[in-house]
Amino acid sequence: MRRDFLKTCALTGLGLTVPTQRLSAADKNRELPPYDGPYYLVFNASGGWDTTYLMDPKGTDRINRLYSKEQILTHGNHRFAPTAQHRQKGLSNEDFYAEFGPEMLVLNGLDYSVNNHSPCSRYMATGKLDSLAYPTFAALVAACQGASCPLSFLTFGNYSATGNLVAKARVPYLPSLKRIANADSIEGNPKSPYHDDFALNRIEQALQQQHRDRAEAMSLPRRQHAENMLYAAQVNSKALNRVTPHIPNQIPKTRLAQQAEIALASFKAGVCVSANLSIGQFDSHANNDSDQMKLIPEFLEGIAYALHRAEDLQIRDKLVVIAQSEMGRTPDYNKGNGKNHWSIGSIMFLGPGIEGNRVVGKTNEKQFALPLDPKTLNTVNDEGIRVRPEHIHQSLRQFAGIANHVYSEQFPLSLKKSEQLMGLWGNPQRPE
Amino acid sequence: MTRTTVSLRSFLLTAACIFVFPVAGTALLAADPIICPTVEDMDFQRFFANELWLKVGRAECVKCHKRGGDAEDTRFVLQDLSRLVKAEHATAMQANRDAFVRMAFEQDGDQSLLLLKASGDKEHGGQEVLKRGTAGYQILQTFVRRARAPNLNPTDGSAVASDHTSLFDGIKMLEDHRLLRRATLSLAGRLPTLDELASLAQPSSRTAANAIDATTNRKALSATLDQLLTEDAFYLRLQECFNDIFLTLGVDGNPDQTVLSYEHFDKTRGWHQNFDLSHIEDEKERRDAGYKLARDYRVALLGEPMSLVEHIVRNERPFTEIVTANYIMVTPYTARGYGCFDEIQGQFNNPVDPFEYIPVRLKSLQGRRESENQDSDTGFYPHAGILSTLQYLSRYPTTETNRNRLRARMYYEHFLGVDVLELAARVSDAAAVTEKFENPTMQASECVVCHKTLDPVAGLFQNFWRFDRNSALYGKRKEGWFTDMFATGFEGDKLPQNDHWRALQWLGEQTASDPRFARTMVGHAYYLLTGRRPLLPPKDLNDPFYDEKSIAYHAQQHQIDQITTRFAASNYNFKTAIKDWVLSDFYRADGLLNPVSSPKRMATLEDIGLVRMLSPEQLERKVTAIFGKPSELLQGQAAMLYGGIDSKEVTERAVDPSGAMGAIQRTLANDVACRNVSLDFSRKKTDRILFPDIEPDAIPGESAATDKRIRDAIIHLHQHVLGRDDEEDSIEIERTFDLFAGVITDAQKSGRFDKRETWSCRQGLETPVPDPHYTVRAWRAVLTYLLRRHEFLYE
Repeated sequence: MRRDFLKTCALTGLGLTVPTQRLSAADKNRELPPYDGPYYLVFNASGGWDTTYLMDPKGTDRINRLYSKEQILTHGNHRFAPTAQHRQKGLSNEDFYAEFGPEMLVLNGLDYSVNNHSPCSRYMATGKLDSLAYPTFAALVAACQGASCPLSFLTFGNYSATGNLVAKARVPYLPSLKRIANADSIEGNPKSPYHDDFALNRIEQALQQQHRDRAEAMSLPRRQHAENMLYAAQVNSKALNRVTPHIPNQIPKTRLAQQAEIALASFKAGVCVSANLSIGQFDSHANNDSDQMKLIPEFLEGIAYALHRAEDLQIRDKLVVIAQSEMGRTPDYNKGNGKNHWSIGSIMFLGPGIEGNRVVGKTNEKQFALPLDPKTLNTVNDEGIRVRPEHIHQSLRQFAGIANHVYSEQFPLSLKKSEQLMGLWGNPQRPE
Repeated sequence: MTRTTVSLRSFLLTAACIFVFPVAGTALLAADPIICPTVEDMDFQRFFANELWLKVGRAECVKCHKRGGDAEDTRFVLQDLSRLVKAEHATAMQANRDAFVRMAFEQDGDQSLLLLKASGDKEHGGQEVLKRGTAGYQILQTFVRRARAPNLNPTDGSAVASDHTSLFDGIKMLEDHRLLRRATLSLAGRLPTLDELASLAQPSSRTAANAIDATTNRKALSATLDQLLTEDAFYLRLQECFNDIFLTLGVDGNPDQTVLSYEHFDKTRGWHQNFDLSHIEDEKERRDAGYKLARDYRVALLGEPMSLVEHIVRNERPFTEIVTANYIMVTPYTARGYGCFDEIQGQFNNPVDPFEYIPVRLKSLQGRRESENQDSDTGFYPHAGILSTLQYLSRYPTTETNRNRLRARMYYEHFLGVDVLELAARVSDAAAVTEKFENPTMQASECVVCHKTLDPVAGLFQNFWRFDRNSALYGKRKEGWFTDMFATGFEGDKLPQNDHWRALQWLGEQTASDPRFARTMVGHAYYLLTGRRPLLPPKDLNDPFYDEKSIAYHAQQHQIDQITTRFAASNYNFKTAIKDWVLSDFYRADGLLNPVSSPKRMATLEDIGLVRMLSPEQLERKVTAIFGKPSELLQGQAAMLYGGIDSKEVTERAVDPSGAMGAIQRTLANDVACRNVSLDFSRKKTDRILFPDIEPDAIPGESAATDKRIRDAIIHLHQHVLGRDDEEDSIEIERTFDLFAGVITDAQKSGRFDKRETWSCRQGLETPVPDPHYTVRAWRAVLTYLLRRHEFLYE
């Protein structure tokens, strides 16, 4: 019954009824229990990374000038480009694979179908090329698993559409977290509340009654939606005070680390399901190699930072990492030593429920994608599929256990069963 | 319906029509006269308009099969309705219908050529557009069948009507005085004056009187809006809105370097560094004055494009000038940067005001080297409104490989309302296409569909071909413009040779006369008022609510058409577009008159009603309007946290509150109440804003008269803070009364409490305000409660 109701709401654009639906089951004034994972971190290399300098090395003159075929490195089943000698700062591929290779799943030969930033970003983030309405995976999983968390879906950039399912939260600076953690106290000091407890309780009760009465009134869909969102945002925001103990005293210097600290503190406090982390400038139309050698190590360093901090916060075993970009770079250099847009790329995954030390899919020596047998995940010559973002998203939805959720059904990926990637996540040793 | 009627309504092929059933492979030439069956049947016409055209023709075919499109040289060329004024639509639709009917008669063997082409089977340049079996393909199939078999009864699909006239049936409209409050707060950041309210007739219960009231009130509202749209606060809002669209405040770096680049302004852009401040004796003060000078100069530079918008609207000049104005706006500070201050300083009212903008025509740019001088037949910079401002060009820079395509894309989006990238079709193997063709953008149909539109416009920006903004924006490509791009021009028209030096002016002229421009500007006016863009047509034919969404879309388009017509008739006075929207049902719709249980109806109404979460800037202005001073809690980083934009990385405003924003709303409500309740009680009664008719000694339950006074005070607060007109015995007043009384009761039950307000909330009072009965704090709780409500935080 509730499912049908939600479906109707979703279809008619009232998707955001969930926060109050959940609240109506219990005392709406009471703080919600913390969200306990899994947490999803989506790292975006915005602008288009050069996969041949990371997980899909070629080592031919035409494609890579910084290393030869013979210099390509391996770690377990992974093959990767050597970057220790070329990076300016950040983490080399060598160090990254040495530490995380055993946990990491890489998919090469991903076909983005087009090669413009805007549609590619949308496609990669949502699994749907030709719609502006679809939510990103991060937003979808947040809506399905924890819409009532105050910072359910955090975003720091990149394509962040929510499909009207959940509010997107932007908390650009660490100190901002402190500002919002104690909203009912003067200057954020918990010892100086604005109101006595009994007065605050009365205010909350009045708001609750007012919201209840309004829900029964005849309102236009937009109004219903807005009132639900507003009420949920204010009520749920009380849980933000749980973030305070996890906000670090020192603000890290690198871009991804700053974003990761905000996301991880919010995860740890149980107020966030997913976060979209992003750094830009990968669009290396000029001087590809120097740009990529600056950015890929910075990107990997950011991922490593997040994983180490998650370890410190004891949430590493619940953290799922997805690292992606909206496109790859051409298999040749232009006149400015840059590389243009290429519609073939790669994606990396790491986390509980994902069997590491694996590489799925391939590109050939000219960096064209090879078709994949979705059943065996082996590349094949003729029969097979071109792995596209919708395949990845279908698998992600299954992985997160939301493929059949009413919100996912509202945004179908329309993949035939025979085209779905079987066993992409492998057979991992799930944590106890 | 009788058989005769059916027969009469069946397809009548006119006698004058010569039937030609082309043999497969015998091509008709584009220049051949239209020899076609003219279908008179109304059902068929409706089917064409509501089904085939809406869902297939407009959505797919016309992308290429139009003048200037990739398929313009074929014999199937349609008219793009979006490029025509409304009055021409009927004729164009008939021509399109005839073109489709003619194609429906073409066969390849025993198969329909139209269907074969659409499904990509018969050397269709656009390859597979409609997959067999999809809803779109089935509509085309039905069309072909019906066109070829005129006696066929209509299918279910043809019965779908895009009847949008009933969209507002059963919708409650905002009363006039509340509409007035909505408009004054939204457009001028203030409450309506007593005179403005008095100009509106009170609602009457008599029908005839209501009709008179409506006419009178419409005139009064119109007059008030005329006044409102002259206020400075409106122009602030106008600039804010257009920056949301153009984002010109988001220019990277210091604008005195990235707008005024070294090549053309090296001698003048740094004027502030040598400005004589020696009259300031104190060194620190002198240094600070220097900083302020630089800061104001940069802010003034960034503000020029939006000041142009303001200038055009304030002076009721044709809004087409945002693409045709042969001038820019400069201030005494920015004029120094351009190097023209000495010539024009007499035109300023106050030559030391950094923010007094006046229109000026710049001389053509002179480079450090002769080769970098700007071409000009007149000796002046060929200004083309915002399009040619250095801020716009700097905000949307180009690269060697991008070839001005970003600028062309933004141009289409900003001025013609076209998202070119939405045309981007899925490519079966984009990498293979890139490899297969020597020049995919001109050869591969998947690429041509966008590039044939985009590249000619990109070419119009060719004189701004520099990549390091610090160094230069203006400059031509040494080897001449690219020949491996579609020729420079606009939608099929080539740029005349004589106009090369003024290419952007030429583009501005084409733009101003393109019907899409006026419609897009009317859409921008809608954005200003609602915070959202006009609806896009529904695309998913399998969506169970496709028809309902289509009705909503067409109703809005109909309104846009009407407003666009008046906007054009007013010589593109942008204020007419704003006024028309404010007075339209779209702005006034406020609720349902009766319960609606039908999901279909709810889907139709999904976008109806203003319901806009206030931006941080708007919310701050509302606080100021209601309390007489801002909260100062929504500035800088807090504004970003509250869904604001920085015009660079964050360019879309939040439309729904996250938990973080919910927390800020709590803080805002707590703090504004804290700062204002005691303060208001400390004022003389005549100066009070919140509590003009009550004192803190009024305790609920003392007497009926006291309770009445408390209720009246609550009614005043509801009206002043929320804009609600609640009756004394309404549930809303009762709830607030209960809150007030309940807090006092709880305080008394607690036994001991300080007889004074909290220290932070009793600062800056005009006279001391003791709180022996906890009533001041109870009123503060009431105000906090009101400030957290939808009516305050949304418009």
